[in-house]
Amino acid sequence: MDISTSLAAVAFAALIHASFQLSVSVLTLMSGHAIGAKRTQAKVMRLTTGFIFGVAVMTMLVLSFVALVLLHVFGADTPKIVWAAGCGLLVGVAVAIWAFYYPHKKGTILWIPRAVADYLTKRTKATKDSAEAFGLGLSSVLAELLFLIAPIVISAMILIQLPPLWQLAGIGIYTVISLLSLIIVWVLIGSGHTLAGIQKWREENKRFLQFAAGLGLVVLGFYVYVGEIMNVTAGGI
Amino acid sequence: MTLVVDIVKHGKRPSESFSREKLHASIVAACLSVRAPEGQAEATAHAVCDAVIVWLRQRPEVTSTDIRTIAARYLKSHHPDAAYLYEQQHSTI
Repeated sequence: MDISTSLAAVAFAALIHASFQLSVSVLTLMSGHAIGAKRTQAKVMRLTTGFIFGVAVMTMLVLSFVALVLLHVFGADTPKIVWAAGCGLLVGVAVAIWAFYYPHKKGTILWIPRAVADYLTKRTKATKDSAEAFGLGLSSVLAELLFLIAPIVISAMILIQLPPLWQLAGIGIYTVISLLSLIIVWVLIGSGHTLAGIQKWREENKRFLQFAAGLGLVVLGFYVYVGEIMNVTAGGI
Repeated sequence: MTLVVDIVKHGKRPSESFSREKLHASIVAACLSVRAPEGQAEATAHAVCDAVIVWLRQRPEVTSTDIRTIAARYLKSHHPDAAYLYEQQHSTI
C-alpha cells in the first residue's frame, strides 16, 4: 500500500473506532451528573474537555504501544501470516459486535464486564474536576479494549510500514478521527442540547451503529487481505 | 404519620429505609440535567415524591428498582425528558 492508501485505511479504521459507544456513554452520563449537580456550563465544558483529552491520550498510547511491539517483533516488513491473523481478528471482532455488542436490554447497555460498567457508572457521578475526568477518559478506552483492539492492531500494522514522519501523522489522524463521536457530543452539550435528546438518538440508532461497526470491520479486513496478501500472492506467481 | 418502608437494594448492598430527601434530590438532578429551571425541578420533585409516598403506603418492603420505575412513571407526566433520563441512569453503560 502506498502512503495515501495506507492513511486512508487508517482513517477508515479510526472511523470504525469512533462508532464504538462506551466513551460516548460515559461522557453522556458524566455530563448529566455534572449538569444535575448545578455545575456551571463552563465547568461542564471543562469536565467534558478533560474527558476527551483522556480518551485521546489513551488512544494514542495504545496505538503507539501496539505499533512499537509489532515493529520490535516483526520489523517493518510484517509477515503475511501476521497480516492474515490481523484480518481474522477484524472479522472475528465484527462477528462478536454483531452478536454481543448490545445485549437485548433496554437503553444502551454494552457487553462489557458488569463490574467495569458499575465502576465507570460510579466514577461518572464522583467526577468533580478535570483531572478526574481525564482519568475517566483513560479508563473508558481500556474498558472497551476488547473491541477497540481490532482497528488499533490493523492500523498499527499499516503504520509501521510508513516512513517515521508519516507514522506520526497516521497516529494523529487515527486519534482525531476516533474522537469524532465524542467531539459531536461535546459540541451538542456546549450548544445547549439536552442529554435526553442525545441519549434517545443513541438508543433508537444503536442497532444501526452496531451493524455499521461490524460491517466496517469486515470491509476493512477484506480490503487489507486483498491489499497485503492476495496482491503479494498474485505478484509471486 | 411516619412512613417506614424497607428498600431492598440491587446486588449485595444492605437494605435501607425509604428517604424522601434522597428521592427528591435524584428527581431534582434528573430535571436539572435536562436543563429544566430550578423552581420547576423542585416543584416536580415535590409532586413526584408525594405520589411515590402514596404508592408506598400499601407496601412495607419494595426494591430500589420499584421506586425508580414508579418515580419515573409519575415524573413522565410532569417532564417526559427528565423521566427518560431518570430511567436510563442505570442502563446507559
